[in-house]
Amino acid sequence: MTALSGVTITCFSASYAVVLALEVSRLWFRSGVRGVLLYTFAGLGLFTHTVFLVNEAARSTASAPLSSWREWYIVAAWVLAAVYVYLAAVHPRQVLGVFLLPLVLGLIVTAHFLADRTAFPQSDAMSVWATIHGIALLLGTVVVSLGFAAGVMYLVQDRRLRAKRGLSGRLRLPSLEWLDRVNGRALVVSVILLSLGVLSGVVLNQLNHRRDATSAFPWTDPVVWTSLVLLAWLVAVSIFGAVYKPARNGRKVAYLTLASFAFLLMVLAVLLFAPSQHGSGRGTSASAEGARP
Amino acid sequence: MKLQMVGCSHHTASVEVRERLAFSAEQAAKALERWQQQFPHAEAVLLSTCNRTELYTAAVETPPSHHEVAEFLASFHNIPLSEIFDDLFEQSGEGAVRHLFTVAASLDSMVVGEGQIIAQVKQAYELACARRSVGPITHDVFQAALRVAKRVTAETTIHQRRVSIASVAVADFARQIFERFDNKDVLVIGAGETAEETLRYLVDEGAQRLTVVNRNFERAQEVAARWSATPRPWADLPGLMAEADLVVSATGASEPIFTLDDFRRIEPRRFQRTLCVLDLAMPRDFDPAIGECIGVYLYSIDDLRETCEANRRERQREWPAAETIIDEEAIRFIADMRHRASAPTIQRLRATCDELKSAEVQRLLNRLTAADERDREEIAMAFDRLVNKILHLPMTTLRDHAEQPHHTGLIDALKRLFQLRD
Repeated sequence: MTALSGVTITCFSASYAVVLALEVSRLWFRSGVRGVLLYTFAGLGLFTHTVFLVNEAARSTASAPLSSWREWYIVAAWVLAAVYVYLAAVHPRQVLGVFLLPLVLGLIVTAHFLADRTAFPQSDAMSVWATIHGIALLLGTVVVSLGFAAGVMYLVQDRRLRAKRGLSGRLRLPSLEWLDRVNGRALVVSVILLSLGVLSGVVLNQLNHRRDATSAFPWTDPVVWTSLVLLAWLVAVSIFGAVYKPARNGRKVAYLTLASFAFLLMVLAVLLFAPSQHGSGRGTSASAEGARP
Repeated sequence: MKLQMVGCSHHTASVEVRERLAFSAEQAAKALERWQQQFPHAEAVLLSTCNRTELYTAAVETPPSHHEVAEFLASFHNIPLSEIFDDLFEQSGEGAVRHLFTVAASLDSMVVGEGQIIAQVKQAYELACARRSVGPITHDVFQAALRVAKRVTAETTIHQRRVSIASVAVADFARQIFERFDNKDVLVIGAGETAEETLRYLVDEGAQRLTVVNRNFERAQEVAARWSATPRPWADLPGLMAEADLVVSATGASEPIFTLDDFRRIEPRRFQRTLCVLDLAMPRDFDPAIGECIGVYLYSIDDLRETCEANRRERQREWPAAETIIDEEAIRFIADMRHRASAPTIQRLRATCDELKSAEVQRLLNRLTAADERDREEIAMAFDRLVNKILHLPMTTLRDHAEQPHHTGLIDALKRLFQLRD
């Protein structure tokens, strides 16, 4: 256990980077040992990632490893990496890692830039709502990212099928039908998760308001309003798809998931660069706005 | 090794001759039974596909001659041997081994890399096992052939590229659009050979909701009955196009049967749902402009042919790698066979030397009456060492030369020099 206590972000980031390089190499040449190396490094990455989170949780006073923005993003990266490992096992001949692993690494890099942010304030009274808020938004982020990857794959596959070239080449992708299904479900599930995240955030704020009458809902906080914009976009897209049949066309859904990811990036950019107090326990939401983002 | 093969293939015989010499599964079983009655000490495996009929025979002692095997094949089908003799070819020993390995790895197939032949070789071997017409030589060579085929499949991409229009249409195009076919409405326009071949691939992929449309409704009914499909009259075509997910068109029409205007009329009913059209007709059945419509993926026979050619070129590129595997495995197999074939001779040589050694040791010890037990043991061990050292070099040479063609000559020389009799 002493050896495992030394696991750092670099350990699993490097493993994922190697897996990404191996996945990219599939576009150029065949290899008998690549599959073994790929699964070994993917397994190693996920294992060290898990160990890192366990170590962080052990060091933290919080009940779950979601005590700061940094941990929140590292957990999101873990979920996405686990999804990748599952998909790579189920679809071993398809180069899914080329599209999914950059997102995993992107989340880890974001976590790195958020390392100096203060931890979320802990409050036992609100821990349940705070945990729901944090986990729902985290899973929503993962699902939007997954939808984005599926959307990009759909457009690449659609382009190849229209160009009628290279279909039996080395870039093997899932069928349009599968990608379309993943895209559609990603939209619906992300709406549910982000709605749950926002609602739990509202409840959390109400609880804060009861404890501290001076605290108000932080409508003006950039992270809050950009998240609401993202949710509004997803709800609008889902309603549009439900009432207007042609909107269910695969390519359109793919573009919509890409746009959803753009909104997610906007939230992320605001978090990184705008003066938000969300999750810090300061500012408009006063003493204990929430124990989670 | 006394393995041989007599038969015909698409390289040597016309389809008419191949048809006359072909064996159904029942006929093959009867033929093997008859073979055992006629040649009780000879092994046999009969491989019969649409592209070849090959009878592999072997015997520990003297196998039936090529002529006898050819006569057997001809007489089974009641064909005068003279009518087919020039279409037959033969292979013996190493040549037969290499040929079987090449056949099993599908390098000798009409469509190089087709996957069916491995199963056919396996079935031929299993039938011979069931009929007890196999023996040690055919057991070994067929098991090795299946191993070679698996190696070629695993280590090269020669089997991965499809080369027939219908298989490319379904597997390389439709499969990349649809995840599954059992819940798709498949519309087949035309009832010719191409349409049926594509239907076969679609059914193999799990398609269940099949509809056949043809100008001649009776013909549509015939084809539909064969594939558990629904026949529909030609007039229903626009309505069926509005509902279909996958369309296979292979009519003999001289003009497009579905124009852009026709599609525009049904387009609102499709709600931009994905439609894959495999236009396998020449001239084309579908206006190419339909391929620009939202949700439509239209492939003509030229698009598919291009992919077929590209796949064929890719297979050719894999040919040397597959041949290297066959060479390696054939050399190893033949060396193993020679090792085994030389084992009785080596045993006899050692036994002869041991007899000579024991006699000489005994004679010497009888003279040396003063020698004590320790001296006697030393003398016996010295003779042992001498015999071992004398035999070591020829044994090593035999082993090292097991892969060489002159190995059998070495064994024969050994037999003659030491007068070793079987």
